[in-house]
Amino acid sequence: MRKLMVQGVTSGAGKTTLTAALCRHFFMKGMDVVPFKAQNVSLNSFVTDDGGEIAISQAYQAWASGIEPTRNMNPVLIKPKGSGQCQIVLDGRPWKDIGRGGTNQEMIEEIRSHILRSFDDLCLGRDMVVIEGMGSPVEMNLKDRDVSNMWLAKAVRSPVVLVGDIEKGGVFAGIYGTYLLMDEEERDLLKGFVINRFRGDASILGAGIEELESRMEMPCLGVLPYVRFSSPQEDSMDLRQISGGVRGEGDVRQRWIKELDGLLEKWEGTWDLSKVEGLVDRV
Amino acid sequence: MINPTTPVQDDSETNYHNNSGSLRSQMSRGYIHGDKDCPNFPCHHPDQNCTFCFCPLYPCEDPLLGEFVVSKRTGGNVWSCQGCHWMHRDDVAASLFKMMPEVGPEGLDLKVRMELKERLQGKHRRRAKAIMVLGATSGAGKSLMVTALCRAFRNRDLTVAPFKSQNMSLNSMVTDQGEEIARIQDLQAKAAGTRPRGELNPILLKPKGGVTSQIVVEGRPYRDTTVQEYYSKFVPDEAPAIIARNLERLMRSNDVVVIEGAGSPAEINLRGRDVANMYVAKLAQADCLLVVNIDWGGAFAYAVGTLALLDDGERKLFKGIIINNMCPGGGTIGSLDIIERKTGVPVLAVMPHLPKLYLPVEDSMDLSLHEGGEGATVIAIVRLPMISNFTDFDALGLEDNVRVVYANEPSELNGASAIIIPGTKNSVTDLKWLKESGMATAILERAGKVPILGICGGYQMLGRRIMDVHGLEGGVSAEVEALGLLDAVTHFDSYDKRTVQVTGTLDKAGGTVRGYEIHMGRTERGEASPLFIMDPDGRGEGMLDEKGLVMGTYLHGVFDLPAFRRYFLSLMGGPSSIATEAMDQDAAVDASLQRLAKEIEEHIDLDALMGDDDDA
Repeated sequence: MRKLMVQGVTSGAGKTTLTAALCRHFFMKGMDVVPFKAQNVSLNSFVTDDGGEIAISQAYQAWASGIEPTRNMNPVLIKPKGSGQCQIVLDGRPWKDIGRGGTNQEMIEEIRSHILRSFDDLCLGRDMVVIEGMGSPVEMNLKDRDVSNMWLAKAVRSPVVLVGDIEKGGVFAGIYGTYLLMDEEERDLLKGFVINRFRGDASILGAGIEELESRMEMPCLGVLPYVRFSSPQEDSMDLRQISGGVRGEGDVRQRWIKELDGLLEKWEGTWDLSKVEGLVDRV
Repeated sequence: MINPTTPVQDDSETNYHNNSGSLRSQMSRGYIHGDKDCPNFPCHHPDQNCTFCFCPLYPCEDPLLGEFVVSKRTGGNVWSCQGCHWMHRDDVAASLFKMMPEVGPEGLDLKVRMELKERLQGKHRRRAKAIMVLGATSGAGKSLMVTALCRAFRNRDLTVAPFKSQNMSLNSMVTDQGEEIARIQDLQAKAAGTRPRGELNPILLKPKGGVTSQIVVEGRPYRDTTVQEYYSKFVPDEAPAIIARNLERLMRSNDVVVIEGAGSPAEINLRGRDVANMYVAKLAQADCLLVVNIDWGGAFAYAVGTLALLDDGERKLFKGIIINNMCPGGGTIGSLDIIERKTGVPVLAVMPHLPKLYLPVEDSMDLSLHEGGEGATVIAIVRLPMISNFTDFDALGLEDNVRVVYANEPSELNGASAIIIPGTKNSVTDLKWLKESGMATAILERAGKVPILGICGGYQMLGRRIMDVHGLEGGVSAEVEALGLLDAVTHFDSYDKRTVQVTGTLDKAGGTVRGYEIHMGRTERGEASPLFIMDPDGRGEGMLDEKGLVMGTYLHGVFDLPAFRRYFLSLMGGPSSIATEAMDQDAAVDASLQRLAKEIEEHIDLDALMGDDDDA
């Protein structure tokens, strides 16, 4: 069973798309790949064949992997209800509402056991899983309640790729700061970083990338060019970007996958995926 | 360092100086501000105060204010205060003018002079305190933080100036001297209560599309450049001197200079080539604040990573980290001290999401921030690829019942009560886009049905033709058919830019209009009537078609005063329940600035920030 996890420097760094693209890539190489995201915060959900509610992003990643979505691809879905209230959907069914107090340690433990069970069920008999993290893995105030980033990577022993969005500026600082705030075990699992949404001539980044590679003792796995394409809108973060919905006739899911194939094509040449393939077997 | 236009005071003048007669005659002129009739004006600075042409404190021998030089005449040492702006600041001159009668010009012996100087120094810094706001990312909230600090310090009766060495923006405006600066520095100048001027933003880069940008230096067009050339030539060879001379003038003539960085200071691929961040911080020996936007997540990482990538000398300048945009009830932030442990810099404040303020904002990427209003009257702004000066439309938000939207494609013009073609950095290529996107056809279909306004580049597009024989806009020589809704032809004859602030009267309905022009190219009006009659010579500006529904103007900020805004809205069909009270944009902006200052006072200890250190 091969594993790879995508974590982000921020929300909206491009984790969802990168995960979908990696699923697609490995699927096209003939592998039996599945997507997994332990916990998602989204109001855009999808209902699986067996009536379970998961985030639309994991459904999208499933289609990219050439399979139908199942509820164990996204065992925890948090749906904000306004004024600090959230509904927690666990294993595809509404579980309980939580208020401003958030979750207590007892709930966290219960959620964690659900996540690991879903993960094991999902991976049974598969070649590979691509795991998506949530937000930043080094929100130090939330670390003891983490169920979706480094806690998971450690629990399932998955190599991790960190993606940073260069569009906001400060991407080197974001990536390096994330690394600095990780503990030894976490840094061991982190295998490389990716710079996303770059516009222009990537050679201008050269010196910065080299410095970061030497400070972190790991490779930059790619600089991904900015590409406008359509995919399901995950959360309000995406709405701020000009991402253009799907227009015209046809099945929107086919359209999304076609766009994803187009994205992979555009990345080709700027991104040597064999570097990523090489990571999968390590740990 | 020193303004070379000032003659060195010679020994003979020194004697004359201490002559109580000349001081008495100086006092008898009264407090005179700048003496613009003087043949030597401005001998120190364009904003200098000339009340004390001869300094009563001369020779103060204060190394912060002047230096000994060798006299050309005698060969001996003579005290030169060429570079002193202190005595020529309005506030310092006013204070001294009040103190002078107490001592009288006769009493100015060394001891009295030094006592006077001490008292003045207690009130006015000889060299400004520099505070610099840097961001971990773009959009961290630097601009507003600087704006807020400027107003808060201004409210404490300090003389304040904002500074940003290098800005990249298409939202520029024109000062009363015809200098072009980024719109945000104009706002910051308003907040600081100082005159907007080129030295506040000495390098302005205006992207022209593709890899080309125009460099504006000290408010004047300098030359066009490519990204490559900018970093390999302009930054190492020319930028340092430009930045140093402007910053130095501000440091000599203010109590506080609030400096804004650009983007992140830790773009390590640009080490040695970034003249907008730590370079300026070191030059000014500024106390630095790092602003981190917590809204996107990853705030811990950005704070720690940014400081870790700086060198020790740079890191030492940081006095605090400001976590910005915390949403209410955004969870616990108890473990912020890990940031201080990792960086050695304390978290000074956690700022909340600011309330909705009425301020012209900077950033070009996020036009959605400029969309707004909930009204039934939809005004569609054509989203040109090189759109510029879209702060023009912020004032429409002052009207009830109006909603401003940006239209990317023809269908988005459906239902619009009015269409505006905005300014652009490139009229020729954007006109091409207008045609290819189908937007041109959609606009023509609506002509005569809804009001259509073109501003600047948009005005040029509404005419019959754009003649760019030298390829100044499009890069190749071209004569381009425009929309033909106005009987006008625009010529790009030379690499000249008109940058001027103007006022006038709305020809149709009366009322004052105020704005600023920033354009290359000139437009010949055919027989059509002008839209505005301009001061002071009564020249016609802009034009409108026979039905009065198609209008063009070069005036940016044309909606800022209510007269034209009301007139334009009155041309639209549909709901006419326009706000009853005409609001002046200036008043709205000022009220917002005060709220912003109050907000920052509540979260940051500004006294601690200013410190009690002497300016020596």
